[in-house]
Amino acid sequence: MKKKLLTAVFLVVSLAFGLVGCSNPTGGSKPVEDAKTQFKSEIKFYGSTTLAPVVSQLSTNFNERYATWDKVDSQFDKKDIAIYVSGAGSSAGVKSVIDGVSDFGMASRQVSDEEKAKIEGYQDFKLGMDALTISVNPKNNLIKLKDSLTSEEIKKIFSGEFKTWNDVDPSLSKTEIVVVTRDIGGGAHEVFQKAIMGDAKVRADVIQAPSMGALVTKIIENENAIGYASYGMVNQNKGKLTPFKVDGIEPSSENILNGTYKISRPLIILKKGSLLPQEKAFMDYVVSDEGMDIIEKLGFVPNK
Amino acid sequence: MNQTLEKLFILLSTIFTVISAVLLFLVIIFIAKESMLIFQEVNFFDFICGLTWNPLAGEPRVGILPMILATFYVSIVAILISLPIGIGCALELAALENERLKSFCTSILGVLAGIPSVIYGLIGLLVVVKFLEKKFMLAAGESILSGGIVLAVMVLPYIVSSAAETMEKSYVQYKETSLALGVSKSYMLRALILPNAKGAILTSMILAFSRAMGETMAVMMVIGNSPILPKLLGKGETIPALIALEIGTAGLGSLHYHALFTAGFVLMIFLIFLNALFYTTQKV
Repeated sequence: MKKKLLTAVFLVVSLAFGLVGCSNPTGGSKPVEDAKTQFKSEIKFYGSTTLAPVVSQLSTNFNERYATWDKVDSQFDKKDIAIYVSGAGSSAGVKSVIDGVSDFGMASRQVSDEEKAKIEGYQDFKLGMDALTISVNPKNNLIKLKDSLTSEEIKKIFSGEFKTWNDVDPSLSKTEIVVVTRDIGGGAHEVFQKAIMGDAKVRADVIQAPSMGALVTKIIENENAIGYASYGMVNQNKGKLTPFKVDGIEPSSENILNGTYKISRPLIILKKGSLLPQEKAFMDYVVSDEGMDIIEKLGFVPNK
Repeated sequence: MNQTLEKLFILLSTIFTVISAVLLFLVIIFIAKESMLIFQEVNFFDFICGLTWNPLAGEPRVGILPMILATFYVSIVAILISLPIGIGCALELAALENERLKSFCTSILGVLAGIPSVIYGLIGLLVVVKFLEKKFMLAAGESILSGGIVLAVMVLPYIVSSAAETMEKSYVQYKETSLALGVSKSYMLRALILPNAKGAILTSMILAFSRAMGETMAVMMVIGNSPILPKLLGKGETIPALIALEIGTAGLGSLHYHALFTAGFVLMIFLIFLNALFYTTQKV
């Protein structure tokens, strides 16, 4: 019995030591000045899964060119450039900035005023636009009949009022329409919901694709599928899926940038408070011509 | 000196054991804590038996019955497909005399178990889903059946390995006697080995079932993720798929967030129950 007690005591003590040991190096109680003089070589990006590959490509290029911070600017310390990008959704990105757990948030939707109010010294960088195209498989016979869908038609297709392609146009066969969406709570769906659906609900038996890539794959693989593929994805898979005009307006880069094309969303990087010099150096690179080229290459409409 | 080392070793292993046990309880407590909050807003039975999942609507509804049913449905389909294959494979492995061939087959099964689930999902999406679309003239091949088929392949190694072990033992035990009595190999397998391995088969089934219930990525990619009541050739959404799909966008502390946690809690209860069953069958 005594032995057991001893073990237990030892356990508790060792755990306590362990915890204390963990907290020491990060030093919650270090003086503020010390933290300021310490050069921060890491930048953390968090948020939209649409933007994550973009920023990670930009950071890779930035890293390849400079490798260490002192090569970016001789005033910086000689430390490895470490830019971490993780995708978790726009709302999570905004949340991370509010909570201060990331240096930058990535959002592929407008940041609401309510959210902005929660961020002290809010500032944002608009990288460009991403548009959702209403796309179908090239083998779908609807594209032979028309090249434009009205918002009303799209709404009826997605809400389940039109069940078969025959409902959309009497000359089409009576095969079921396969509607593909992203997850209903996600940023892409929010854009679509606002632009097209309004208060109407999408039908319950839609296929919720876990990623934009999976959504596009589904449209490429299935002749009866329709879904909102992003503009970038359509460009990357030219010929494999066919986008419709919406209310007669083509999803072209001009129409998207000037806002006449309805179903689009901005790509925003947001920040709480002022930028550290090294953060500014990276953001300058992001909004440079070269950075914009990369954004365009990845299939988005750069803000230029 | 040696004794101190010995004591130190005993102490360390005790500590690590306690830590891993404590870890389990911490996880359970954390999830339970996060999920209990929802019952302030939603009735327990409405949550378990509710048919509509729409946590973001003006009047949020969080019923997870379709997800619970889909989770079981997919797993049962998977077991129904993989059990006959698995048992056949285990029998063959047990009776195989050629040691090199046997170890080759075993290592292949090991590799099968090691393939990342996302790869299974991808193959499922491009092969199984496509196949079902063509074969059954479905508009969309995403269905409970496709999820079941993909899962069947994934749980096969678990069924085979746990069943083959027992079968091999009894094969060795009865081999001489059977040879002496002059019964054929197939009779021996049918009349002796198979009935003897009943318990092991049941155990392997439970193990595979709990594996199947928890599988997330592969299922999520081929099942369509529609929160509706599951039909064999219709879409469905399992609890792990629901959580993986929506937790990223659920606002921290919102009803949606807690509902997802509670769904996870329900799944965990089922799995703990299955694990308990697993241990009791193993003892028999």
